[in-house]
Amino acid sequence: MSLRKVLALWIFIISISVAIYGFWNIYSISEVEYWTMVASLFLISSACYASGIHHHIISKGQKGLPMLVYGTLLLSVAAFSMYLPTPIDLRPWDIYVRIPNRFFFSLFMLLSGLFGAYLSFRPYYDYKKEGAQVGAYYIFHLTLLFTLLPLFLVIFNIITRGIGGITWEFLTKDIVRMGEEGGVFPAILGTLAMVSLTAVIVLPLGVGTAIYLSEYAKKGLAVRVIRTAVNILQGTPSIVHGLFGYAFFVLFLFDGRKCLLAGSLTLAILTLPIVTRSAEEALNAVPSELRDASLALGATKWETIKNVVLPPSLPGILTGTVLGLGRAAGETAPIMFTAVYFSGAGTPSSLFRPIQALPYHLLSLYRLIGYRDVEQQAWATALLLLLIVLGINFTAIIVREKYRQRF
Amino acid sequence: MLAKIREFIKDETKCERIDLPENTKMRVQDFDLWYDDTQALKSVDMDVEEYKVTAIIGPSGCGKSTLIRSLNRMNDTIPSVRTEGKVWLDGYNVYDEVTDCVDIRRKVGMVFQKPNPFPFSIEDNVFYGCEVNGMDMDKEKKVKKCLKDAALWEEVNDRLDENALSLSGGQQQRLCIARALATEPEVILMDEPCSALDPIATAKIEDLIDELKNHYTVVIVTHNMQQAARVSDYTAYMYLGELIEFGDTTQIFENPQENSTEKYITGRFG
Ligand SMILES: Nc1ncnc2c1ncn2[C@@H]1O[C@H](COP(=O)(O)OP(=O)(O)OP(=O)(O)O)[C@@H](O)[C@H]1O
Ligand SMILES: [Mg+2]
Repeated sequence: MSLRKVLALWIFIISISVAIYGFWNIYSISEVEYWTMVASLFLISSACYASGIHHHIISKGQKGLPMLVYGTLLLSVAAFSMYLPTPIDLRPWDIYVRIPNRFFFSLFMLLSGLFGAYLSFRPYYDYKKEGAQVGAYYIFHLTLLFTLLPLFLVIFNIITRGIGGITWEFLTKDIVRMGEEGGVFPAILGTLAMVSLTAVIVLPLGVGTAIYLSEYAKKGLAVRVIRTAVNILQGTPSIVHGLFGYAFFVLFLFDGRKCLLAGSLTLAILTLPIVTRSAEEALNAVPSELRDASLALGATKWETIKNVVLPPSLPGILTGTVLGLGRAAGETAPIMFTAVYFSGAGTPSSLFRPIQALPYHLLSLYRLIGYRDVEQQAWATALLLLLIVLGINFTAIIVREKYRQRF
Repeated sequence: MLAKIREFIKDETKCERIDLPENTKMRVQDFDLWYDDTQALKSVDMDVEEYKVTAIIGPSGCGKSTLIRSLNRMNDTIPSVRTEGKVWLDGYNVYDEVTDCVDIRRKVGMVFQKPNPFPFSIEDNVFYGCEVNGMDMDKEKKVKKCLKDAALWEEVNDRLDENALSLSGGQQQRLCIARALATEPEVILMDEPCSALDPIATAKIEDLIDELKNHYTVVIVTHNMQQAARVSDYTAYMYLGELIEFGDTTQIFENPQENSTEKYITGRFG
C-alpha cells in the first residue's frame, strides 16, 4: 500500500467517526465531546494536508488541491469554533434568539465528515474517475443510514420501554384514576371508532373532488383555485383545524358539546387534502387512451369513469386514504377541543357523546408524570398508538402491492 | 335505462337530414375545426362509400387524425375544439344538436394508433361495448364471433379469461378491432392501426381489413403508402389541414392531378 492509500484510509476512518460523532451528539453535546470533535477536525485537516501535499509534490499533479482546500476549511472552522460563545446570543441586537452553536457545530461535523469520507476515496483510487464514483455510492448509502437511524431509534426506544406495560388488563380495562390504574380500552375503541368514521366521511368527499378535478373540470382557473385551496388546507397546522372544529362543529352545530362526530368531521377536514390529492394522482395515472377507447365504444362519460378509470385507480386511492387516516389516528390537536374528555369518557356509545382517544390519553398521562406513577402506562400507550399507526400504514402498503395495476 | 332516458329527452326525428346518394355512407361537408385559435381542418369535403375502404394519407401534422376523429365526434373530448360544417351519416347530421354522441360512436367504431385494451380479461374487453350499450345477448357466442371476425380466435380461445395486457402488440390491436366490432358498428375508423406493429402483424391486420369491408365501411389513416395502395378503394390526400385530392386509389397513385399529391406519393416531399 502506498502512502497515499494509507493516508486516504486514515482520512476516511476519521471522517466517518466524526460524522457518527456529530450525528450522535446533534442534540446534546458535552464539553468533553465538543473538544474531542474540535481535535478530530484538526486531525482530519492534518491528514488532508499530508495527502494533498504528498500528491502535489510527489506526483506533481494538481489533483491534491481539493484535499488541501478542504483541510484548510476544516482547520479554519475548528479554529473559529473555539472562539464562539456558547450559545450564540443575539439579544444584544434586539433579536430574541439564542442559537446553541454546538448544534450547528455537530451538524457541520456530520456533513464535513461525510464529505471528507467522500474525498478520501479519490486518492485511494489514484484519482481515477472510479474513486469519485465509488465514493458517491458509499456516501449516499451512508446518508440513507443516517436518515433511517433516528426512525429505528424511536421505534426501538418505544418498544423496549412500552412492552412491559402491555398486559391483557391494560388492553381490556377501563381507565381508572386518570390512567394510573386500569387500562386504555375506551381510548383504543375511541380512536378506532373515530378513524373509521373519518374514513366514511372523507372517502366520498375526497374521491368526489378528485373525480371532479381530473375528469370533469375544464383545466382552467377554477381547477387551479381549487387545487391551491386543497394545498393550503394541507399546509394548515393541525391546531388550526382543531380550533375551527371547535368553533364550527362544537359550538355551532352541537351546542357546545364535544362529541365523536365533531372529532371525526374535524379529522375529515384534516385528511381531505391527502385523500383528494392521492386520488387525483391515481386517476391521472390512468392513461387517456383507455378513456378514449371506452368513449369510442359508445360509453358515456360516467360509464367510462365507473368502468375504466376508477377500478385501476382504486388501490392508489385507498393507499392515500389509509395514509391520511394513519395521520389522523395520531393527531392530538384537532380532537382535543372537539371530541375528547379529560379522561374517563367511557367506551364510545353514541356519535353525539365525547370519547377518549389514545393520543390525547397519552398527553394527559404525560402531564401526570411526576405527580403520579404513570410513566409505564404512558410508554405502553405510546407503543399502542405507534402500533396502530404503523398497522394502518402497513395495510396501505399491502393494498397497494396486491392490487397494483399495469397498463 | 340510461339509453331510455336519452331517447326520451332527445327527439331524433328532429335531427337535420338530407338524402345522400346511394352507396354513400358518410359525407363530410365544408367542415372546419379549430384547436383554440389554430385551424386544423379547412373546409374539408369528402364522401365515404359504403362497404369500401377509404384511406387518408398525408404528411405528419396535416390533420388526418383530426379528420378521422371528427367522423365519430371523438374530438368532443378535447375542450379546446370548435367545429363548423357538417358530417352526415346515413343522411343524418352527426353534429346536430339533438344527435347523441353515444349513438354515433356506437354506429361508428374506432381503432386507435396505439393498441389500448382495457386491463380486463380478453372476453370482458370484447364484451365491454355490448355491456355499456345494454345489448342483451349471449356473451360467450358474441365474444367468439367477434374474435373470429377479428382473426384472433385461434390464438386466444383457450385463455379468454386472461388479462388482455398479456397479449402481444399485434394481438392487442386485433383485440381492439374485435372490441370495436362487438357493438355492431356500420363504419369502422382506424387511425394508423399498424404503426406500432411488425410486418407480420401488419399483414394480418391488412388481410383483416380486406375481410371487414364485406360487412363494414372502413376509413383508415395510414403513413404507409404501400398500405394505402394495397387495402383501400378510395384515397384522400391531405396537406396542412386541407383535403388536396380525393379519388379512386388507383387514380391517386397512378395519375395524381395535383402537384403536391404526386410529390408526396413519389416520396419527393419536402
Ligand atoms: N389536442 C390538440 N390540441 C391542439 N392542437 C392539436 C391537438 N391535436 C392536434 N393538434 C394540431 O392539429 C394539427 C393536426 O394534427 P393531427 O393529429 O390531426 O395530425 P396527423 O395528420 O394525424 O399527424 P400524424 O400523422 O403525425 O399523426 C397539428 O398541427 C397538431 O399540432
Ligand atoms: Mg395522427
